[in-house]
Amino acid sequence: MQGLTRYKLIFLLPGLLVLLAIILFPLFFTIRVSFSGWDAINPGLGWIGGTNYGRLLADSRFWQSLSRLTTIVLTSVALEYLLGFGLALLVWHQVRLRRITRVLFLIPMMTTPVVMAVIWRTIFHESLGPANDLAGLLGFGNIPWLTKPMWATIVVIVVDVWQWTPFMFLLLLAGLLSLPKEPFLAAEIDGAGPIRTFFNVTFPAMAPITVGALIIRLIEASKIMETIYVITSGGPGTSTETTGYYIFIRGLRDFQIGYAASLSVTYLVIMIVLLTIIAKSLVKVLVKSGN
Amino acid sequence: MRPFLKLLKIVAILVWSVFVVAPFLWALTTSFKTANGVTNGATYLPWIDYEPSLAAWKGLFGSDAGSIDIVGPFANSLIVTLSASFISLTLGTLVAYGLSRFRYKLGPISNADLTFFFISQRIMPPVVLAIPFFLMLGFLGLLDTILGLVLVYIALLLPIAVWVMVDFFNNIPKELDETAIIDGCTPFEAFWRVILPNSLPGLVVAGIFCIVFGWNDFFFAFTLTFTQTQLLPVAIVSLNSSVTPWWSLSASALISVVPLIVVAFLVERYLEKGNISGAKK
Amino acid sequence: MKKAIFPEQKNNDFKMNYIIRNLSIGEGETAHLCNVNLELPTAGVVTIIGRTLAGKTTLLKVMAGLQAVDSGTFYHNGKDLLKTPAWKRRVGMVYQQFVNYPHLNVRDNIAFPLRRSGMGRDEIEQKLEYVSTLLGLGDYMERRPDELSGGQQQRVALARSLVKDSYLLLLDEPLVNLDYKLREQLREEFRRLFKDSKDRLVVYATTEPDEAMILQGHVVVLHEGRVIQAGPCADVYHYPANIISAKIFNDPPMNMFGGTIADGLIQVAGGLSIKTPSHLKDLAPGSYVFGIRAIDVKLGGKAASADLVLAEVNGSTTVLHLDMDGQNMVLEMQGVHHFDTAARVDFSLLESRLYAFDTERGELLAAPLIKSLSGQGGLNGKN
Repeated sequence: MQGLTRYKLIFLLPGLLVLLAIILFPLFFTIRVSFSGWDAINPGLGWIGGTNYGRLLADSRFWQSLSRLTTIVLTSVALEYLLGFGLALLVWHQVRLRRITRVLFLIPMMTTPVVMAVIWRTIFHESLGPANDLAGLLGFGNIPWLTKPMWATIVVIVVDVWQWTPFMFLLLLAGLLSLPKEPFLAAEIDGAGPIRTFFNVTFPAMAPITVGALIIRLIEASKIMETIYVITSGGPGTSTETTGYYIFIRGLRDFQIGYAASLSVTYLVIMIVLLTIIAKSLVKVLVKSGN
Repeated sequence: MRPFLKLLKIVAILVWSVFVVAPFLWALTTSFKTANGVTNGATYLPWIDYEPSLAAWKGLFGSDAGSIDIVGPFANSLIVTLSASFISLTLGTLVAYGLSRFRYKLGPISNADLTFFFISQRIMPPVVLAIPFFLMLGFLGLLDTILGLVLVYIALLLPIAVWVMVDFFNNIPKELDETAIIDGCTPFEAFWRVILPNSLPGLVVAGIFCIVFGWNDFFFAFTLTFTQTQLLPVAIVSLNSSVTPWWSLSASALISVVPLIVVAFLVERYLEKGNISGAKK
Repeated sequence: MKKAIFPEQKNNDFKMNYIIRNLSIGEGETAHLCNVNLELPTAGVVTIIGRTLAGKTTLLKVMAGLQAVDSGTFYHNGKDLLKTPAWKRRVGMVYQQFVNYPHLNVRDNIAFPLRRSGMGRDEIEQKLEYVSTLLGLGDYMERRPDELSGGQQQRVALARSLVKDSYLLLLDEPLVNLDYKLREQLREEFRRLFKDSKDRLVVYATTEPDEAMILQGHVVVLHEGRVIQAGPCADVYHYPANIISAKIFNDPPMNMFGGTIADGLIQVAGGLSIKTPSHLKDLAPGSYVFGIRAIDVKLGGKAASADLVLAEVNGSTTVLHLDMDGQNMVLEMQGVHHFDTAARVDFSLLESRLYAFDTERGELLAAPLIKSLSGQGGLNGKN
């Protein structure tokens, strides 16, 4: 089309430039800072070459935080998917239930995670909170929610599942509701029971949405921060310390800005690579299964 | 077999519903407690387990010592969230329209790359940006200011707006734009007079996502503000670390989540009209 | 390709004001448009006919300004329109998917282009009156497009493009999404509306030869992005420039079969033998591709027989698909008849209606005599 260039720019440039300005400068700045020895004692961009990166490679706390992050994220997202899908299936065909449950289940997702974390902290308080009351009722005795690593991890996962299962629920329910009816009628005519219908018809048909939902949730879950900060502070010890939290401590608490910057850059690169690989593989599985 | 399954379904839904509602109920009853209701173990029912009191709630709005200022942070959150959402939505919709309608080519970079660039900003872990933002805003004198926060939030919310609106625009046939252009509209007028009026559902979804993500942010507000400008989530959490009693904590927490719960109701009504189910991706 | 010029300019009232030269989009085999050269009159009706994906829509979009070209020019009144942005050209376009502004009612839909051009309120009212009466939309002015039927929506789209002071009106298969009855009705309306177009050129794209015939006017045959033939409707019908043109401009497509002329006889595969008709007498003996329309193949007679593969009923005619030892032949007859499949059927051809084409390049060599063409005998040789 003639005379279009001016308009192409009018639409794209404002947003693009603003985003680049706000994101690129900090990014480049961080990279530069990562080569400096900026900390509380020596502020400023004094060049120290790759010292920070060398230190990072030997920093087992950093690498362990990555594996902890992976555990927490994968477990949470898997649970959210299974529960969300299960709930969506339960509610799929009952119209009356659908409206009520949709509002009800929507609520956790709309709450401020950090504020809910404050409430969860009181709930999981080992002597004054209702969680141990419930545990006692079910015959488990006092559970060391926040003082034993395994339980602390479980608390983090439970909170995340509470908060974000609704996301999966809503997305998957919308997907189920938009499925065409014909394959299900065909399955019914073929005499397939509910389980066979699920595995042969429902689940494959939901593959695209599954992939999309998983990718979105994995990306968002990898940024988990508030829960750790408010409830466990990375503890007990460092058992729930995610990479983000560790960098936060190093950078904004210990004020080792230069080192934290190098951690950030490394973390970012790892996340981009990992998430891109995961996203592309999921999409590949999707494409293959469609054939 | 059938009635048993049905029972199982209902039980499952009930169990999950209880799980969903439990934290709120706990916070609610806790907000009416006094020291007695807390220090001797968990209590649940007012008047039966403990003596209820309105102290916490009164403290929220009062200005005497021992009370918490919620109104200030609440207002700040409102201003920052709405401004950043509005700007992000505006800029993001423009970008999304461009990416949906035009073919961009700058060397090897094409539409798909540009879209990926915008959307992939969501991968950025907050902490990676927090440190440079901290330094740079400090340098610009924008730490602890509303403007500084709004700028930062734009970077977070713009990708969301682009993501939702690109998909939405792709579902509007290009022939509609073409007809407007043939009728004498420049591409911008076609966007403004024809496509935008027909994009309300998409804008609502994008707007809600922006507002929710903006309102709920803690990390950036926490690292980039201190005393002058406090946002609601930060205010609540700062209560956590001091000697604030549980009941004040619960009351403040409940107040802060109420607005979005209202939004949740509105969203559900909108969903029911069938408008969003296709756009949610 | 040679420049395609309309051979007969009986009425030289119209200058050829639209000149398209060497228009190309894309390259090689998959070019959307390849070296299109056309001259179109300032006013009147031009039908662009071609199969799906022949490039009709692309060509229309180029004329509207919605599609960029890789090379070529498009002049109107001496000005290169390609340099004018689409929103500054005065063009109207009607799509095959009914496109109206969903958020406006019919009145605002039609008035939209007028308001954009800054026309005064009274003048707009006048034009709305005129167009709504013309297209019978008076009762629907306050309704929204989604409250109207397909035919009404298309009328609204048409009204909006007519109400403008445009010099070019483009219609891209506007009837293809309507039901049969509506199509017939609107075709008649179109003919009426465009018949006396003195101040604008109507370009109508379609796959159906019938619509071209109803609209009369000039015809451009498009195939795989190339102009195969251009000329007045009657010329293209009676003298298709080549095999492709003959196939496209007939529905069912013209039957084509190979044969040889020798000793005053035409021999066709499958044993069919015809006495060479008078209009083909001047052809040298040898191989040719012969063409005959389905309507000129008759049931009965002793000329040949074939297996009936399929019989379909099209409205009020019956179409028979025959297989003559591997050679296909399609026969069209009036009325609705029932046939047993796999029956053996006798048929014959009207020799006086045979066309002859060159075997190598498919060009027209000889065409049947047309009694109605005053003073002219059959046309031998190329255009």
